Amino acid sequence: MRPFIFTKPATADQALIKKTNQAQFIAGGTNLLDLMKKHIALPEELLDVTNALPAAITANTKGIRIDAMVRNSAIASQAEVLSQFPLLAKAVLAGASPQIRNMASTAGNLLQRTRCPYFYDTTVPCNKRIPGTGCSAMDGDNRMSAIVGYSNQCVAVHPSDMCIALAALEANVLVTGRDKKQHSIPFKDFHRLPGTTPQLDNNLPANAVITAVEIPGNRFQKNFAYVKVRDRDSYAFALISVAAALHMEAGVISEARLASGGVAHKPWRWYKAEQFLKGKKPSAENFRQAASIAVGETKPLANNKFKTVMLQGAIETALQNCLTA
Amino acid sequence: MGFFDDTISLSAPPEGRVEATAKVTGSGKYSAEYEVASLCHAVLVGSTIPAGIIKSINVGNARQVEGVIDVITHLNRPMVPAFADEAKIKEARFGLPVFHTDKIYFKGQPIAMVIAETLEDATYAASLITAEYAADQFNVDFEKSYKNAELKTAGKDRGTADSWAETPSVVEAEYTIKNEVHNPMEMHATIAHWTAENELKMFDKNQGVNNVQRMFAKLYNIPAEKIHVVSEFVGGGFGSGLRVWPHCLAAVIGAKAVKRPVKLVLTRPQMFTLVGYRPESWQKVKIGADNSGKFTGILHQARHATCVYDNFNEGITRIARLVYNFANLRTESATVPLNLSMPTWMRGPGDCTGDFAIESAIDELSYKLNIDPVQLRLQNLALEKDPDSGKKWSTNFVDECIKLAAEKIQWQNRKAAIGAISDGDWKTGYGMAVGMWNAGRSNASAGIKMLKDGSITVQTAMTDIGTGTGTAMQNIAKDATGISKEKIRIELGNSNLPPAPSQGGSTGLSSISGAVAAAVNALKMKLAGFAAAENDTYKNVVGADIILSDNGISYKTTNQQFVPYSVIWEKNNLQVLEVEASSAPGDERKQLAFCSSAAHFCMVKVNTKTGKIKIEKMVCAADGGTIVNEKAAANQISGAVVGGIGMALMEEQLIDPKLGTAIGNDLAGYHFAVNADAPIVEVIFVNKPDVNSNPSGSKGLGEVGIIGAAAAIANAIYNAIGKRLRDLPITPDKVLMG
Repeated sequence: MRPFIFTKPATADQALIKKTNQAQFIAGGTNLLDLMKKHIALPEELLDVTNALPAAITANTKGIRIDAMVRNSAIASQAEVLSQFPLLAKAVLAGASPQIRNMASTAGNLLQRTRCPYFYDTTVPCNKRIPGTGCSAMDGDNRMSAIVGYSNQCVAVHPSDMCIALAALEANVLVTGRDKKQHSIPFKDFHRLPGTTPQLDNNLPANAVITAVEIPGNRFQKNFAYVKVRDRDSYAFALISVAAALHMEAGVISEARLASGGVAHKPWRWYKAEQFLKGKKPSAENFRQAASIAVGETKPLANNKFKTVMLQGAIETALQNCLTA
Repeated sequence: MGFFDDTISLSAPPEGRVEATAKVTGSGKYSAEYEVASLCHAVLVGSTIPAGIIKSINVGNARQVEGVIDVITHLNRPMVPAFADEAKIKEARFGLPVFHTDKIYFKGQPIAMVIAETLEDATYAASLITAEYAADQFNVDFEKSYKNAELKTAGKDRGTADSWAETPSVVEAEYTIKNEVHNPMEMHATIAHWTAENELKMFDKNQGVNNVQRMFAKLYNIPAEKIHVVSEFVGGGFGSGLRVWPHCLAAVIGAKAVKRPVKLVLTRPQMFTLVGYRPESWQKVKIGADNSGKFTGILHQARHATCVYDNFNEGITRIARLVYNFANLRTESATVPLNLSMPTWMRGPGDCTGDFAIESAIDELSYKLNIDPVQLRLQNLALEKDPDSGKKWSTNFVDECIKLAAEKIQWQNRKAAIGAISDGDWKTGYGMAVGMWNAGRSNASAGIKMLKDGSITVQTAMTDIGTGTGTAMQNIAKDATGISKEKIRIELGNSNLPPAPSQGGSTGLSSISGAVAAAVNALKMKLAGFAAAENDTYKNVVGADIILSDNGISYKTTNQQFVPYSVIWEKNNLQVLEVEASSAPGDERKQLAFCSSAAHFCMVKVNTKTGKIKIEKMVCAADGGTIVNEKAAANQISGAVVGGIGMALMEEQLIDPKLGTAIGNDLAGYHFAVNADAPIVEVIFVNKPDVNSNPSGSKGLGEVGIIGAAAAIANAIYNAIGKRLRDLPITPDKVLMG
């Protein structure tokens, strides 16, 4: 690890004043410390924001606000979350391990880097680590890589489970910059596709800080599911994950949400499949067709053709589980 | 709750392990945890190319870092005498001559070592070192290369190949297994301390302190007794501690260079390239049976990867010659040199790999013959004698293992028809396989120190890598002496103690139990010698006549002839009574064959939509002779079975063929099974003594728990979904696409 200065600002304002390109915020550190140990992130200064940012969960008539410093484990056991946003709790519990969830913050979860083994190996080319060096995964081991939304510069995938639920639930990300003005960024616009700038994973403005995530109230308390297919049952990233939520009226689907992890550089919404389901009966055949519509958007790489088959099965399973689980 | 309010007794409960309290409270020290005055820290720098020559190494920036004491490379290291020239290097048989060559054989090969005041300084400085190379072409692609390695016979043929060509039922198939890495929880670590010009003390993670001692005696041409190796607590080994690896020598070289004690702890990524792995393999099995299900013949071919600077052959086809009767048999093998680091023995080495192929093929044959897989095995087992050596088995209860495990899992619930048990997208299947391992025994020594209060300390140099060796020694000493467990201390893992073999190949308990029994006998005879002065009964006795207790010595007759220890100690002015004895296998090993065995039975659920595999039940019935300590023995088996689940479903270290790099070399990238992946493993023991094996009647159990586990799982998956998956690990993608 490169030597660095460590400070612990007491307020968000103090944190923002000290924030520069060479100074990075640290909360739970569950991703940043790994990156520093591997000499991928080389900050000159760490600003520990654990005291500077709020850590409450507040429910009101419009929805729920989860502050930046709320630990992942706290989200998963909070009463309002469990009763009103159970999909979020389910997704959080599918992520990482209990130890990591105890450390990881809400804001940090959004800001974790995309995953690719070549990004973590400083001896090989990687456009995300050093732009312009090339993508080792494109013609290498891309079993875990993206099947949609990738570019010829990067095929890495977004790793969070929590964010897949937040994408499905159309959360908003509240950010504050040095001008002290609060902005709200719709979740679908928060993370980026790689395009020609794979070094950037999200659209958080330079030197700004996430203060909270807000989720609007919804009608997905009954019919929801989070399916995560992975190589082992704990502490493994998704091969494919699916967050599904349905609202039924008179035996017909009136509202549907479908989002996936393990498929793209950002949490991916299957808008066309959602649209298809609207007004349909919740039948196995309709679920199969919805899944096929989603799969139709994908274009797998050499080593991950299985992901389209798995996606089909995982979406069908998730929709089915919305009815029974 | 109340747990934290309870008064916790720090004495280990009688059924617990002797080292439990030390481990749980942290008072037991692992190699990297010893405090040594003026200790400094070393960090290795690996090559960034897989093959070539080092042209230059830029250490300037690293030397600028505050706290850096020295940077060692092949250009400035103090020479290891055994590496003085190419011929000597070969003769030393050390493997990689670390810092004594400019040649690069694999990516991550140590090219430099930073020694600094703190680990942080050394780590940062190491990140600043760069090298220029003249890169060579390299090959790390096993899949593309194995066909070029010419197969050679491995062992004597039985019968002929032609004689079973017309057999009614034949199965012929190929099997592949990816690289697997040991990854014990504790990272390999060495503290090297030259305490005098030619005197070396080491705290080192290994599975055999005497082996390390001998190697350094050879490398530095100094007497072994001048080298003191301590490895008292070991956080898992799985075979990775059976060799002396380059990092261990690097620490010793570093300590010589800076004239201070040096600590070197490998990083987790370094654990993937510097301390061995189970090499990637290819196998072909052709097996035939007549209509009654009697095996007619087998052809077993195997190739596995090795490195280019040394050779390693793990003997994959050995298992084909061990378990069943084959009138016709041929085994062939080859190794495939690649630009990778040295592979090594990993739990159930060779047999575990070979067994997967053979037990999968037998399962396939059972469907072809329409004979129950249990029945097919039972009718072909070689229960009388070792089919290879022709020697009669001392004991072989593999048939009992099969019957016990079948009963436990309720094998009668299995349906022969594929996918007959289903619940929506989930299909349930049953599978089984057997495993076997040569039950070896080596020479070993143990010592006993006794105090006036009747307490004893039993000592050996043997390590306890988590197997429960110390606990078993205590059990054996208790049974052999009559002294209660509370008065029996165990000391091990130290080369100053009576010598013992490395803890590998499931020979540890078998070897040390003989030594402990011999030492107890020596103690009894010595005490009898003193007691004879008090009581004539003790003249001309043998050890078996003597009974010890917490307080004194007695004779076997009813009137007991009791002599208290206090009397012996006082009359002879004793402080500590010390004995040491050795034990070795004898002629019985020439006349008889020895095996441990296990039967693995498994019930899985497979989701046909997502490819998810869930292991619902796992039963292992094992024959390890007399079970000396059931808890520790069951722990060995269940740990090995969980290793088998990893082997079957998730463990694979991929190497990028274009870059030569290990892909995802950390514990997030390399998956082994965690609790969530494993059911509670149900372990059953035959528990019948093998009186020829050693005085305790036990046979080693370390390996058999994993041998056969992967095949049982693969066979269960076939029973569930009808896909014969022959490429390990069986990840969800293979279930969907296979």
